[in-house]
Amino acid sequence: MIDPNYVLPPEAVSNEAVARRLVEDAAEQIRAGRLKKKRLVWLELTGCSGNIISLLDGFHPDLEYLVTSMVDLVYENSLMAAEGERAMERLMGVLDEEFILAVEGAVSLKNNGLYNVIGRWQGEPLTALAAARMLGPRATHVIAVGACAVDGGPSAASPNPAQCVGLPEVVDRPMIKLPGCPCHPDWFLGTLAHLLLYGAPKLDDLGRPLLFYGPTIHDRCPRRPFFDRGIFARTLGEPTCLFKLGCRGPVTRVDCPTRLWNGYVNWPIGASTCIGCSQFGFPDGMAPFVRFDTTREP
Amino acid sequence: MSTRIVVNPVTRISGFMEIDVTVDQGRVVEARTKGNLFRGFEQMMVGRSPFDAVYLAQRICGICSTARSVASSLALEQALGVQVTELGRYLRDIIHGCEFLQNHLRHFYQYTLPDYVRLPEVSSIFTSDHGDFRLPKEINDQLAEHYFESLQMSRLAHQMLAVMGGKAPHNHGVFVGGISTPPNADQIIRMKSILQEIAAFIRTRMVPDVYTVARYYDDYFTMGRGPGHLMSYGAFDRYEKLGTLYVDPAVYRNGRFEPFQADLITEEIGYSWYRGKRSYTPFETVPEPDRQNDEAYSWVKAPRYDGLPFEVGPLARLWLSGQYRSGISTMDRTIARALEADKIAGVLNTLLDEITPGVSVQQEWRVPERAMGAGLVDTTRGALGHWLKIEGGVLSFYQIITPSAWDFSTRDDRQPGTAEQALMGAPVRDSDQPVELGRILRSFDPCMSCATHVYRPGQEPLTIQVL
Repeated sequence: MIDPNYVLPPEAVSNEAVARRLVEDAAEQIRAGRLKKKRLVWLELTGCSGNIISLLDGFHPDLEYLVTSMVDLVYENSLMAAEGERAMERLMGVLDEEFILAVEGAVSLKNNGLYNVIGRWQGEPLTALAAARMLGPRATHVIAVGACAVDGGPSAASPNPAQCVGLPEVVDRPMIKLPGCPCHPDWFLGTLAHLLLYGAPKLDDLGRPLLFYGPTIHDRCPRRPFFDRGIFARTLGEPTCLFKLGCRGPVTRVDCPTRLWNGYVNWPIGASTCIGCSQFGFPDGMAPFVRFDTTREP
Repeated sequence: MSTRIVVNPVTRISGFMEIDVTVDQGRVVEARTKGNLFRGFEQMMVGRSPFDAVYLAQRICGICSTARSVASSLALEQALGVQVTELGRYLRDIIHGCEFLQNHLRHFYQYTLPDYVRLPEVSSIFTSDHGDFRLPKEINDQLAEHYFESLQMSRLAHQMLAVMGGKAPHNHGVFVGGISTPPNADQIIRMKSILQEIAAFIRTRMVPDVYTVARYYDDYFTMGRGPGHLMSYGAFDRYEKLGTLYVDPAVYRNGRFEPFQADLITEEIGYSWYRGKRSYTPFETVPEPDRQNDEAYSWVKAPRYDGLPFEVGPLARLWLSGQYRSGISTMDRTIARALEADKIAGVLNTLLDEITPGVSVQQEWRVPERAMGAGLVDTTRGALGHWLKIEGGVLSFYQIITPSAWDFSTRDDRQPGTAEQALMGAPVRDSDQPVELGRILRSFDPCMSCATHVYRPGQEPLTIQVL
């Protein structure tokens, strides 16, 4: 019988191996009840609820790993078993506790926030605006997930009928911003893992983790050689550079070309133009998404 | 003595919803369903490049975004006078079918199952409060395991979608002409391989599981009927060579089958927060928001077919295509969703066998100065319509009537909406734990991101102040 405390050499010391040991160690501590899981509140506000759907698409870690081994997910409108007042009790219950707050969706300001009511508490409607103001300042960390939470996104598209703004407009505190429409599950889960294991990740001057939001899509695009040689597609579906059809890869800073989506099988430019969904100002600042009337070289 | 019950939020749906019912002697005697979100995509579309509709409209909904890309590209094709090739249709419909699978898997396991099955409390979200769990422990635990197994399957359905769509949700593949980039042989075989895995799960887990739930909760076969009028715009239908693989456009009302006529669709706003014509056809007008209407209690509009509210979705489609006619109820609707998942997997297999690899269906599409087009198609939750007009080369008008608007419409002068009628007469055993209400509503698979928002009648709701 080998002493369980005896470490067999040699032990792998690569980043991946160290990270894996830390994660497994943390999971083991949680299972043994020595370490309490941090609470996570995921608020869906004024948007399409597509970021929670994207999170369900995460592989390794996936949702099961997230809720069993990483955090205690306390509130999530699309998934929680409780409903009505009982669900609201869960949300209000975190106010006196420590929790991490993830927010998807913009915050509608119109009519004092009444364009988006996310629940009812003690008979009165709880607006997205009130929920953001109530929970935002109290969380240990805030993560704005997706384009709408970051700066209004599609919910704030002109003429912005619901007067939507991003979370930073109504919650004045440091927060991590994960733009994207939707946010890639890895961008959120990797950011959360960093928070849990190593503290806040390094951010760029706009609040995005450098881990995911660095070089432009154009810098790492597999179609880049066509751009460099001036070979441009005239229709979608051609394998050459889509720049003249309206591709926003040159201004969009995110790791789509190397990370890929949905179990790493494809990415937007594998199908059509990049529409700049991970860049500030999407969608109005990135439109038109596809155009056929650009001036071309002869 | 009557009791008013308000449930808000109705969780495990997409978006935000409130149920407001009055219960008398243990039965619902008055019911209102209310959406709690408004963004105004119809207004946002005006002035934009017509092509942008395909991508922007998807942002209406994160769980059924592909449906919007399909309806908007169909409407654009009509406006631009584009003849879509059969290959283009096949490819677009395959992407759309993947979304059906993703949706149905998630709706049954993640949204519906926690109503009937106790989940292990590994995270606080799985804690349930009601006391009506009837499955024996062994069976309960098996279904709870399938809850987690299903996560891999719905994820795979989105992966299959992304093989041609680029990513999901909010795909880049569906476009005017059918699809932006055609698949190669390796992508076709990847999709077939993924599909085989999902199809096996549907056959060996999902379908048996839904019948297990039905066996222990058989009282739900007598609850939540609704008006009993069923409609479909058609799905996977009228291919040149393959014919109809699923369902043709059709209507069932008062016990009779009829052909579907698009010109019988109207929308009413008598009980919604809008001003303008009280009843209009889709191309006529998009009403202006107006909160001063005293009769209104909701911002969900009321779509009608020949003046009647209709149920749309999987049960309607199976019924109209003759594949399930056992009954119309909460449990029939839930069973139909699982059976339809199996059906769609078969349809996708047939379509994948028809694909020629590497053949582009794209052209340099031209936008006319003036045009109009309609895109009517059945999507996961039912009948979806986009109606658009182009003036000066940009969008000048955009009308959207979603499946959830059909199922969760407000009342009109003559009758309540579809889900409101389904709630009428429902028994509520414990008004403190009205589990019946959520079960009935979820059987329709509400997607309130696709619909609207609401205020309480006659009063300005207060904003909660938490210091």
